[in-house]
Amino acid sequence: MNALNQGWVALRDAVIITLIAVVVGLLSNELREDGIPLVQQTEYQILVPCPETVGEAPALPPDDPALREPGTLLIDARPAADFSKDHMEKSRNVPYDYLMPTDPSAVTDILKSGARRVVVIGDGSDPDPGEHLAKELSGKGIRNVYFVRGGLPAIRAVGGRP
Amino acid sequence: MKRLLSWRGHPPIALVARLYLGWVFLYACWHKLLHPGDFALDIATYQILPLSLVNLMAIVLPWLELIAGGLLVIGFRTRAAALCILGMMAMFSVAIAIAVARGQEMSCGCFASQGLKEDPISWLTVLRDLGWTALAAYVLVFDRRPLGVDGWLMSRKEKAPASV
Repeated sequence: MNALNQGWVALRDAVIITLIAVVVGLLSNELREDGIPLVQQTEYQILVPCPETVGEAPALPPDDPALREPGTLLIDARPAADFSKDHMEKSRNVPYDYLMPTDPSAVTDILKSGARRVVVIGDGSDPDPGEHLAKELSGKGIRNVYFVRGGLPAIRAVGGRP
Repeated sequence: MKRLLSWRGHPPIALVARLYLGWVFLYACWHKLLHPGDFALDIATYQILPLSLVNLMAIVLPWLELIAGGLLVIGFRTRAAALCILGMMAMFSVAIAIAVARGQEMSCGCFASQGLKEDPISWLTVLRDLGWTALAAYVLVFDRRPLGVDGWLMSRKEKAPASV
């Protein structure tokens, strides 16, 4: 038998093996008690690991003078839509996503900013995206990272200017 | 090329490759056969197949791994089994490469539904799978007279006319 014929025989046999696997698989799935539906009707709940917030980030009170000091870089962790409605003057928007790591370029920009202190502002909810982003940034090696306890609503409540 | 193909050293080398690959596939199919629901979730996590095909894949693939792995070990329909394994390995390699390129942090799901920390995918996983793909390709191309049932059947066939 020449090489071409041998190749065709191998291909034919591979198709037969696959068909046998299909028949045996479907039959066994039908017969077993814990068989799964042939066609899944509802989406699988795929678990996506949350970014680890490994660093330490102390909380600052909303009226802390450090918020207004020149060496402070204000980061707003809220979604872009909320940021466009209201935000602190000179603050940068780095939206925090509980399911995805923060954009590395945003982290690099913070590192390059030369700020002496980074203060992250969230929405004050529980959990607070500001606190989580601050801990993530701290875990990535950024020093002097803080978050504002109560987030932007707390700053507004104590009369903080935009 | 003809000399390379007819070299007598291929069958013993291919036997080692076959036993190793066969063991890998028999080991890999075990958990998937016992827990098809977990395996379906592993497939879904790759986010490559449409939802309608996920369960069918989870039902059929372990049996294909079992049959192809078993045939490779005993050396029956060896090249066909190697072709099946080559196809599966190519498919797995592409799927893992896509997931790694997308930055998906997930478990491979190759042997059991382990957690991300025990079995994370990486370019090393892709490299490992490409190695197994190369082994399957070697068996397919060079193992023309496999040591095993195929070899025994070939010997019988060759001796048959002389004994008549």
